[in-house]
Amino acid sequence: MTALTSTQAATPRPKTRRSRPATPWFFLAPFLIAFIAFFIAPVCYAVYLSLFIKKRGGFGPARDVFGGLANYVRAFQDSDFLQSLLHILVFGVVQIPLMLILATALALVLDAVKGSASRFFRTAFYLPYTVPSVIAGLLWGYLYSKNLSPLNQITGAQTDFLSSQIVLFSIGNIVTWTWTGYNMITLYAALQNVPTDIYEAARIDGASNGQLTRYVKLPLLRPTLTLTSIFSIIGTMQIFSEPFVLRPLGYVPDNITPNTYLYLTVARDGNFGYGAAMAVLLALFTLALSGFFLRYATQGDE
Amino acid sequence: MKKAALFVSLALAVSTLSVSYAADPAFPKLDTSKKVTLEVWSWVPGLDKTVAAFTKAYPNISVKIVNLGGGPNTYTKLNTALKAGSGAPDVAQIEYGFLPSFADTGGLVDLSKYGANDYKKYFVPWTWGQVSPEGKAVYAIPQDTGPFAMVYRADVLSKYGLAVPKTWDQFAKEAAVVNAKSGGKVKLGNFYSTFAPWFMALAWADGGQFFKRDGDGWIQTLNNPSAKKVLNYWYGLIKKGDVSTIGAFSADYWNAAGAGSIISNFEAAWGPGGYAGSLKDKSAGLWRAAPLPQWTAGGVVKSGNWGGSSNVVTTQSKNPQEATLFALWLNLSSSAITANWNNGGLFPASAAGLSLPALNDKTKNPSKFFGGQNINAVYAEASRGVNVNFQWAPWFPFANDNFNKQIDLMIKGKLTPDQALDAWQAETLADAKKEGYTVK
Repeated sequence: MTALTSTQAATPRPKTRRSRPATPWFFLAPFLIAFIAFFIAPVCYAVYLSLFIKKRGGFGPARDVFGGLANYVRAFQDSDFLQSLLHILVFGVVQIPLMLILATALALVLDAVKGSASRFFRTAFYLPYTVPSVIAGLLWGYLYSKNLSPLNQITGAQTDFLSSQIVLFSIGNIVTWTWTGYNMITLYAALQNVPTDIYEAARIDGASNGQLTRYVKLPLLRPTLTLTSIFSIIGTMQIFSEPFVLRPLGYVPDNITPNTYLYLTVARDGNFGYGAAMAVLLALFTLALSGFFLRYATQGDE
Repeated sequence: MKKAALFVSLALAVSTLSVSYAADPAFPKLDTSKKVTLEVWSWVPGLDKTVAAFTKAYPNISVKIVNLGGGPNTYTKLNTALKAGSGAPDVAQIEYGFLPSFADTGGLVDLSKYGANDYKKYFVPWTWGQVSPEGKAVYAIPQDTGPFAMVYRADVLSKYGLAVPKTWDQFAKEAAVVNAKSGGKVKLGNFYSTFAPWFMALAWADGGQFFKRDGDGWIQTLNNPSAKKVLNYWYGLIKKGDVSTIGAFSADYWNAAGAGSIISNFEAAWGPGGYAGSLKDKSAGLWRAAPLPQWTAGGVVKSGNWGGSSNVVTTQSKNPQEATLFALWLNLSSSAITANWNNGGLFPASAAGLSLPALNDKTKNPSKFFGGQNINAVYAEASRGVNVNFQWAPWFPFANDNFNKQIDLMIKGKLTPDQALDAWQAETLADAKKEGYTVK
């Protein structure tokens, strides 16, 4: 974000200012320093780390030796890692549209309703987002617990929400609960920014409420929906806290998401090199995925 | 030479503190003019109170306790700090099973350099094997142990007219009776399906061994005959619905135990403290402890060990001598052992510690919670029955998690117990090899 604003601010400058090239650098410096320290350097370090493999003996210290691209080769042969990518893809394909449809619907309703009711629901829907994901995971952990779950007690069922077959859905539920309100606010803000004369024009043309939503509001929401989709894709690729918090409560597979898998590789197995390699691949994968989506979403725009 | 000075002082000095407690060994005496702060990562409850006695005896050493939470939470941070080269504490608490993986990082000080081997004789023999597997380098000082015994609800058991099971055969029969008579609402036992060390302790009691050093490499036998025997036995009970499979330490478990719907379990010596703490308002005074059921009736009670921990000194410590002294004092001085037992329910690894008055005090928890039974006597007997030649491997953390995967498949009926153990062996072996270990 900062990168965009900075360059946008720098480009419209008149050409005569070129004689003093130091000025823009002066204003850019704080950003550049932070960008290099907290973005470029860690990425470089991760790439560097990913080139080393662990060599071990018996009981005693292990050594890191240069292994070239061995860790990357391993990742592409590692069925657990590939499966984790598949998990997250399936998760994203199901959860993101569901969440965004829900968020859009809520935003449209809130936009239509005026007064204090609107303000109340706006806050109510947004509230889950203010709960940190670890806390949300813990809270839902109680609600999912087989013998304590209120849902099981009401229905008399014995559903194990944490069983490995449905735990991905249970996580999806937490994520949807947390992020729907957040996306709704973004979409709602976009609707609020629409000049009222557009609506008036539509009304004069005889548009009903339904037509207004279908032919005016939804097309106007499209750029915002693209933005929220991109953020959701990136966010989905990073899912970590929810499954991790649920782990002690039941059996949650190591590779439920790519991030839990690479975290365990590093923190549990002590293999920093392989973890770094997977992180680099994950970043590239996310970049590709967002890129494809952006291209697809903006196809008809030109 | 600082080291030489330490050895001289070791030979000569008797610290002021050890005079007041007859059981205390002589701790290393250090240069008292040097002001030192030690950072200690530990999840032992009430450790700050224990440490107050230490700083009284060694006023120049101040101790900062950091509790990052049990096991995994602390390990993650420690692992990262050791890799990063900074941020690690002077002393940290690590369970025996996870010790080899940390020795593997090269981040632990070999405490034999600071005379730790002189203190070997003060510890329960099998615990020293856990911290110094090859008898030379000492990677930690043993802290507490978890010999296995049975805890049970005496009132519910007698309600069903049942005796305390002495054999596994008897346990299985009684489990069926309890399940049938209660209409499936009460279970005699519970299988901790996500705690490999719990299962391993049961196999350990039967003489099962999972890892073994072999020259420069290792031998792994996760599917050993004892493991298969134990798992098949439990699978039979699970399939019939005679025992439940609730996760250890979960809200679900405490709820069931407190409500009397799970009426016995196999717990390490530190377990009763957890019962006294988590169930203090529910079913207090109704629990008792008994030796682990045996495969054959009569004879010496054989037991395994679950958990227990040690104290390591990291290579990032600027004061490894003082840190070693602290680790020794924490686990050998009678004042510390007493406090750790009273505050945290730590069952000592120190041989003399087992006979301390506080451990046998029936008016205090956990014995008080157990209806005034001296449960320490049960656990001391269990400790004597623990097989000494048990070893862990550096990749145990992986095996620990992979166990959950296989057991999950077994409980769903997708794998037989034998297949689950074979898969555990195969997948863990493959991973250990990929991680660069010499193992077969």
